[in-house]
Amino acid sequence: MTESPVAATADMPPGFLSGLGQALPIVLGYFPIAFSFGVAATRAGLSGAEATFLSLVIYAGASQFLALALVTSGAPVLVAAFTLIAMNVRHVLYGPALMRAAGRDGRRRHAWAWAWGLTDEVFGQALGALARGQRFSEGYMFGLGLAAYVAWVSGTGLGAWAGGGALEGWPALNAGLGFMLSALFMALLLSILSRTALPAIAVAAAATVAGTLAVSGTAGILAGMIGGALAGMARR
Amino acid sequence: MSGALIAMAVLAGAANWAFRALPTMLMRREPHPGGLAARFLAATGPAAIATLFVASVLPQLYPAPRDLVPLAVGTAMTVLAFWPRRSVVAGTLAGAAAYAVAFWASG
Repeated sequence: MTESPVAATADMPPGFLSGLGQALPIVLGYFPIAFSFGVAATRAGLSGAEATFLSLVIYAGASQFLALALVTSGAPVLVAAFTLIAMNVRHVLYGPALMRAAGRDGRRRHAWAWAWGLTDEVFGQALGALARGQRFSEGYMFGLGLAAYVAWVSGTGLGAWAGGGALEGWPALNAGLGFMLSALFMALLLSILSRTALPAIAVAAAATVAGTLAVSGTAGILAGMIGGALAGMARR
Repeated sequence: MSGALIAMAVLAGAANWAFRALPTMLMRREPHPGGLAARFLAATGPAAIATLFVASVLPQLYPAPRDLVPLAVGTAMTVLAFWPRRSVVAGTLAGAAAYAVAFWASG
């Protein structure tokens, strides 16, 4: 049977531009945080070029703020590097989970490039889109990841250039932008909510709270992700 | 730019790339449907998103609760704006805007 042009278009996987468009909440969430990082980095004694270099090369929010503390405290290079590395181990789960959700569309030819952009938020947005029935494409991943990366690096550069106090005159705007990533995670959670996912969600939430209160924020995140995934795996 | 800063950033960045790209590139085959690996990976997404949401709001609740009204209003508006069209963009932007307005009104 010949497929109608309309149906064929509707079934086309989204491309690069679609990824750029769907990155809007991530861009709006990343920019103020990266801006804050640029401000904090210059306050810690780094130049604008050094702050932007950290965002360009490390590209991981929380660990970059930790990097500032380590650098200013004079921690040895290897100790600092391995501390930062330990904070991001959770990312090893994202690619395989995304490929599993992508099913037969899960192409990986250019994964060496687009997977660099597979941050928490990009992973969540891509997974949410697949859960809503969207098809996977590497072009979409490039668009989503590139917009987020550019927002992160440019936000850092602008923050370093502007210095402290740029958003302090706009406390409500600053607060709203600060809530953007929480709102994004909430909306993503709603988009993937199902009876099957409930045990993983409930256990992840409880383990995150327990791990954070008992040990640290990083431990809470690892406990939540692994505990939730194990709870989902145990469910038949 | 100091050599130590460059070395730390390059080591951490290389590890981040490896964590994000290598597991995807080195997957040889799809996990067996219904198998333990497939169920673990299927649950990873919901677990990760739930974890990141809780981790992002927890500092506002503990140890000293702050800005609870904006948090409640922002979260409620995110849910309300998401449902009609199941739009993540609409939910996120409306939630953040409502948070800002509630922060300003309560401030």
